[in-house]
Amino acid sequence: MTRKIRIAIPSKGRLKTPAIQILQNIGIDILETERNYVSKTSNPKFETVSARAFDVPVYVQYGAVDLGITGHDLILEREADVYELLDLGFGQCQLVVAVPENSGINSINDIPTVARVATEYPNLSRKYFESSGIQVEILGVRGTAELAPALGLAQIIVDLSSSGETLRKNRLKVIATILDSTCRLACNKIAYRTFESEINEFIGKLKHGGK
Amino acid sequence: MFKFQDFDGKILALRAEMTAPVARIVTTRIASMPTPIRLFYVSNVFRCSQSYVEREREFWQAGIELIGSNTSEADGEILSLLVSSLRKLGLKEVRLDIGHASLLKDILNASGLDEEKKGSLRSLLANRDQARLETFMDQNNFPSKLREAFLQLSRCRRLDEISSISLSSPEFRKAGEHLRKLLEVKDALTNYDIENLVFFDFSLTRKIEYYTGLVFEASVPNFGLPLGGGGRYDHFIEKFGKLKLPATGFALEIEKCLKALTAQGFQILEKAKTKVLVSSKFQNVAINVVSLLRDAGVAALLNVTKNDKSKTIKYAKLAGIGYAIFVGPSLENLVTVYDIQSGVSRKETIKTFLQQIGG
Repeated sequence: MTRKIRIAIPSKGRLKTPAIQILQNIGIDILETERNYVSKTSNPKFETVSARAFDVPVYVQYGAVDLGITGHDLILEREADVYELLDLGFGQCQLVVAVPENSGINSINDIPTVARVATEYPNLSRKYFESSGIQVEILGVRGTAELAPALGLAQIIVDLSSSGETLRKNRLKVIATILDSTCRLACNKIAYRTFESEINEFIGKLKHGGK
Repeated sequence: MFKFQDFDGKILALRAEMTAPVARIVTTRIASMPTPIRLFYVSNVFRCSQSYVEREREFWQAGIELIGSNTSEADGEILSLLVSSLRKLGLKEVRLDIGHASLLKDILNASGLDEEKKGSLRSLLANRDQARLETFMDQNNFPSKLREAFLQLSRCRRLDEISSISLSSPEFRKAGEHLRKLLEVKDALTNYDIENLVFFDFSLTRKIEYYTGLVFEASVPNFGLPLGGGGRYDHFIEKFGKLKLPATGFALEIEKCLKALTAQGFQILEKAKTKVLVSSKFQNVAINVVSLLRDAGVAALLNVTKNDKSKTIKYAKLAGIGYAIFVGPSLENLVTVYDIQSGVSRKETIKTFLQQIGG
């Protein structure tokens, strides 16, 4: 079969630039970038699609793309049934539980019953609090969860933190870590069957030239 | 699963798949039937998918079960039937991936690893992350034999490569038996001449708990979801009654097969029967003509409105009717046949009209 292998890369956010960079490092330059749904690359075997990092796991699971570059946290949040073929090393961050610095809450055991949690990660948050035996109300928000406590929307947030700076700026402190994440190469399970040798060659290059 | 409460408080559920209902019927309604039993079904099942993409809740499945035999002949028959079913649908480049539901579990049980490490290993294998798998095994000082076996198994694609994997030490006796069984299945597949399109996938685990042995999935390139699959469930039927019967079977997901056909450029033709709308000022004649046409196998509709000719033709056009015919006071008279598509009308006998439309 002569079809090109389609890779989804984050269209914005912290993973976008390093994702484009590691492809460049192994000789895959994205051509005709802006405003194109599918972009050609300098390598005739590959084409790329720009998508929200949050949607990449779903694109991959349903085979809209063969490969996707996205966070481990997002693959778990979307409960995507995909292979995570390679840890790309960048995009290190933690999914943390945070509360206002001046609140009396210092650990998850101090969380008052049915406290409200604002988060972009409702699935992972629900699972975490359920497994910890803490009853909370999860409020799904799109972005800027860190503003929720100041606005009186929620006492607690669950959000990504890499340097901790956003949390500090918003006078929030971390009381627990839910998971450590890095950026991964996700792969559609059937695409892996179809393109195994091409994909393995691609991974080999990423491992050696991607740094 | 969709669950409801009955009026007496009991929990009712909609079936999410057909194997459990089949197992129940086998142990109750047809318990005295000689084995092996071969059954098929085409049925709707109900699943609440968590996915943001798949909005459907009702799915159609076509499947078969072969009950009462645990031989590799039975496994071979099922796999060959799966391939020929998909080919008969018109799908090209059909491929099967097979694994074993207990293989990994039995290796892990024999490995002496603690539960946490077993979990990490399972997830690394399921993700096909070769680099982290190797690092993990190095960090945890895996015995070289076990390390080699995991690497060989996760690299192995062709069934005949299984013969070179050594799990000969006594603690891996069970796992070794599973591998031998897979090699037997390979021989059956060679005899069906489908061995070239069957691949081994150590990471393949179908998310259904009752599988005990061979598990498999069917797919085609260019369509990112499995079209169906199945496996061996040797200890499931006994949960429904006294019968202990080994069994195997598969289900095809009809909607996914249709999407895959479309992705392969297959044109799905709709076989619409030509419809004929019969109008007459003389009710008895109209009724007679309608029955005459229906007896000849034509889809005839009686004009039950008092609309005039032009309104009737307009309706026929919009409703996708092939011909509107207008009948006089007697069956012997010529009728006016209006061909809706071409807009041409002609006068002829009912008999000639019937011959023309192949009734």
